[in-house]
Formats: sequence, C-alpha cells, structure tokens
Amino acid sequence: MKKQLDLRGLTCPEPVLRTKKIIDDQAVLSVEALVDSEVNVQNLERLARSQNLFVKKESLGSHFRITMDRKKDHSQKDQADEVESGKELSDQNMQTAQASLARGGGTVVFLPKDTFGQGSDNLKDYDFSHNLLNVFLQTINQSGHKPSAVLLANSGVRLIDPGASTYKVLCDLKDGGTTVLACGLCLDYYGLKEKVPLEQITNMFAICEYLFAADQILSP
Amino acid sequence: MTTNRPKEQPIDPRREIPRLTSNVKAAGCAAKISAHELKQILAGLPKVHDKNLLTSITNFEDAAVYKLAEDQAVIQTVDFFPPVVDDPYLFGQIAATNALSDIYAMGGRPILALAIFSFSTCDYPLSVAAEILRGGADQVVRAGAIVAGGHSIQGSETLYGLAVTGLINPKKMLTNGGAKAGDAIIMTKSLGTGVSLLALKAELLAENERARLFSSLTTLNNRPLTVLSESEIDIHACTDVTGFGLIGHIHEMTKASKLSARIIVSSLRFMPSCLELAREGLVPAGSYGNRKSFESNVSYINDLPLEVTDLLYDPQTAGGLLFAVAPRDVEQVLNKLNKEHIEASHIGHFLEGIPGHIDVTVR
Repeated sequence: MKKQLDLRGLTCPEPVLRTKKIIDDQAVLSVEALVDSEVNVQNLERLARSQNLFVKKESLGSHFRITMDRKKDHSQKDQADEVESGKELSDQNMQTAQASLARGGGTVVFLPKDTFGQGSDNLKDYDFSHNLLNVFLQTINQSGHKPSAVLLANSGVRLIDPGASTYKVLCDLKDGGTTVLACGLCLDYYGLKEKVPLEQITNMFAICEYLFAADQILSP
Repeated sequence: MTTNRPKEQPIDPRREIPRLTSNVKAAGCAAKISAHELKQILAGLPKVHDKNLLTSITNFEDAAVYKLAEDQAVIQTVDFFPPVVDDPYLFGQIAATNALSDIYAMGGRPILALAIFSFSTCDYPLSVAAEILRGGADQVVRAGAIVAGGHSIQGSETLYGLAVTGLINPKKMLTNGGAKAGDAIIMTKSLGTGVSLLALKAELLAENERARLFSSLTTLNNRPLTVLSESEIDIHACTDVTGFGLIGHIHEMTKASKLSARIIVSSLRFMPSCLELAREGLVPAGSYGNRKSFESNVSYINDLPLEVTDLLYDPQTAGGLLFAVAPRDVEQVLNKLNKEHIEASHIGHFLEGIPGHIDVTVR
C-alpha cells in the first residue's frame, strides 16, 4: 500500500507525527510526503532512518517530496544500494555529507596559503606570489580540467574574500561544478567569516576527508 | 497536557479557547534568531565606547554591565518568547526563570524586573493573561526581586518575558572570557529542553518526563553560584546555556577566553528520552540553525550518532550554567553542588589552541 501526504503549511512537530502514524501501519509499504521547509525534511529523514526505511528527497522548487520505502520489498542488491544512499541522505551532519561527496575522489586543489610558492623575499615578493596564484587558478579554470574540490585553509581563505582578485575565478570554478570550501576556523582568524556564504564554510574533518579521498592533490 | 486554569474563571461556553501554544511556530529559546543571522543584523550598528560599560557586544555576553562606582555595577538584560507550554502560570514561571538566568550568569543578583507582554484579548480570556503574569511575578519573588511594572500590547502572538536589573561588584563579575587553559567546564542541569518541549507539544512525553522537564524549566540558576561563593571557590568564567545550545555557548566562552575546548560526550546529562525522540525526528528548527552557525568550529574526533550531535546544538530554554574552574577545584565543586542536590557534571575542559575551536570526544 502506498500513501500520499501533503504536509505543506504544517510546522514542526506536526509533519513527523502525521508521518509516524502512517508508517506505524506495517501494511503501508511506501509513503510520499510533501513538506515545505528544510527543517521538516531533515526531521522526516531522521524519522525514516530510525524506522529503518529507505528515504529519498527531491526538491520541487518551493517544496520538497520525501519518499520513504520499506526495505524488505526490494531485492538484495537494491537493498545494499539503498542502505548506502539512505545513509547519505539522512546524515545531514555537514561533515559527513561533505565527506560522502568527497568519496568521489578526483583532483583536489589544496591551498593552505594565498600565494603560489614563495618568493626569495617574503614581504617584497608577496604581490608577485599572490598574483601567480591567481594566474594558476585562472589557468585551471580555462584548461578544461575540472577539479572536484578547491580547499582553502590558513591564509588561503583570503582568496575567497569578495574583495580579493581571486574571488571571481573561485566563483567561476564553483559555478562550473567544483566544490569550493574554506576552513571555518581560518575564516574566523582572518576576520572573514561573515563575508563567505555558510555552505562554503567547512571544518578540518571535511578537509581531511577530501584529501584522503582525492585521486590527486595539487598544492602549489 | 492538561491546562490548569482556576475554577472561578468565567468561560464563554460558545467560544472555544485555543491552546496557548497553538499559534506558536518555535518554542522558547528555539524562537531565537540564529547566531549567523544575528551577526549580520548587528554588523552595521554604531560601535559603543564608554569606559563604564564593562561588557562588549562582540563577546555575546548574557547581559550588559555598567559600572556606577568602584564597587558597584548595574546589570541589565531582557528576554521574552512565545508560550512553551499551555499552562499559563507555568509559562510565566519558565519565562521569568529564563530571563533571570542572565543576571546569575554574570555573577549578579536580580533586584528589579519589568514585564514585557504581547497578548490577544480577543483570543483568550483575561484570566489567562493574569495567570501568565502571576507565574512570572511569583518566580521573581522567589529570586528575591520584584516586578515593578511593565508594558503590554495587543498582539496576535502571545509573548512574555522580563527586562531584569541586577547588581554586582565589578571585581566579581563573571563573563564569557576569563577561562584559563586547563580549566574544567562544569555544567548544571541536563541538556535537551528543546527536544523535550517539542515532544511535549506533540504529546509524546510520559507524566514523569513532563514533571522532570517542568522542574528543570522552573529551577532558578541562583543556587549553584551561591553555594560556590560560600565555599570561596574561584569561578573564572560563566554563562548560561540557552538558545545557541551547548556548542554555541561554549564557542562564545572559548572565543572570549581565547582558548579552545574539549567536550566529553559521555559525561553529559540528557533529559529523559530526548536522545530517542531526536532520533525519530523531534528536532527543533533552532537546533538546525545552531548547527549551521557553529558547526565549522567543531570537530568530532569519534563518529558520533546524529541524535547526540543534535542534542549538542539543541536550543535550551531556562538551561543550566556553564562555568570554568581550576582542575584542582573540580572535586570540591561537584561535592558541594551534589550535597545541595544541584545537578552538575564535569563535561570537558578548556585548552590552549585555536580560539573558538571545540573538539567533541566520546570520553
């Protein structure tokens, strides 16, 4: 039996309660619920996981469709796949979500400073070294190579300051599908935290996951 | 839950009175604007400089402290929110407990309070309003202070709270800053009022769990500090756990004290059933907001279950105190508090490190 629920307009905890009532009936094999807030999506994902259900989320513009299925109705192979995707969906924890994205590997560009190498005189040659990094990023962007992620740490986070010359090329890379992330502690240290969108702020755990999952790491 | 209206109250039988929490979107401190949004809102405000203002807005202190004389300063704070429970008297008590807490978190004592009240006299009988105010006033009296007045407006959403004035000797003021590397972090009360209040609204709490929740929500934060100051234990830094959750408030302490911190999950106390409830999706919106605001400062050394981290970000209403003491004082602090039947645990410590950074470990 498949059930459909329209939970739009309801506030927490109502969507969870109504869905729980439906899935408590073992005869219901699948539930499709419409909700209109991210909080309700995440709460329904938690509910599904606690009940051992496979859960799928689709964004439909102004709202979301959450589909929950009982696992026993699928073949063994599917089940294994679903456990995997179910985990990815329900781990809303940013770190694990990002870490699971990182599983893809690919080429990761790791920039733990805001220069390309280091000149012979640190202070005098800084501008040159910094500009060289800008050229490096622009060359990557135009080369057709697509890194899976660009990770910024320590003074490297200055590259994503909207006032920096490198800001534009990082935006272009991001628009092209590269994940561009900056270390939160570092942003905080350099006073840039309010200037960077939250979804691009990450932590050391995720940075490590990306580095370990990478097929190759470029760090000029 | 059952409402506890006085019997003499005349209720128009033709009119159905809605539950007090019926039009509330987010409960208690979960109704707070998230930290990252608040930072953007406050960014453009003029910077204030006054040599007598002893607190700084950038340290996100619990209350403002203004020095009047060498040995006397006034503490001011304001806190209000929509109903967290349907019983109006209990709601008043909880809101007052929460508002008074900011005075205690600065190490002060409250003397005077003014009520802030938004209420719709079309939707609810006047007796409901009277009960809310009575609950608040009774709690203020219990704290040794008085409600000297207030301000009320007609509003579609019920809101109640207090602006509280307290006094303190500036030399004894407790702030978010001042913790030293190696200091132990002590927390009073249990975590999980955000999840529990949501479960209460969903009518998922058993009778004993409700009683436990209400008792925690109406317990004033005055006693831990009184007990410790009588024993002359030196408290280095103090705050209360409210809307930003455990992680958010420890983050503020670490930033203000220029240290990092380690939280030991196995030493935390949780309200009954709230881990299970969070696992099933009873997680308040404020918890997700806190996670978004603070997660980049946190590293989980071990892979913790999602419901545990949810509780670390759970917005607390009338939560307990967090304070820093020298490691040699830990045993004495816990003994003194336990002897007075004050719930307290040693939940971690401050360390030299990157300011604002928090490690979360299992043990």
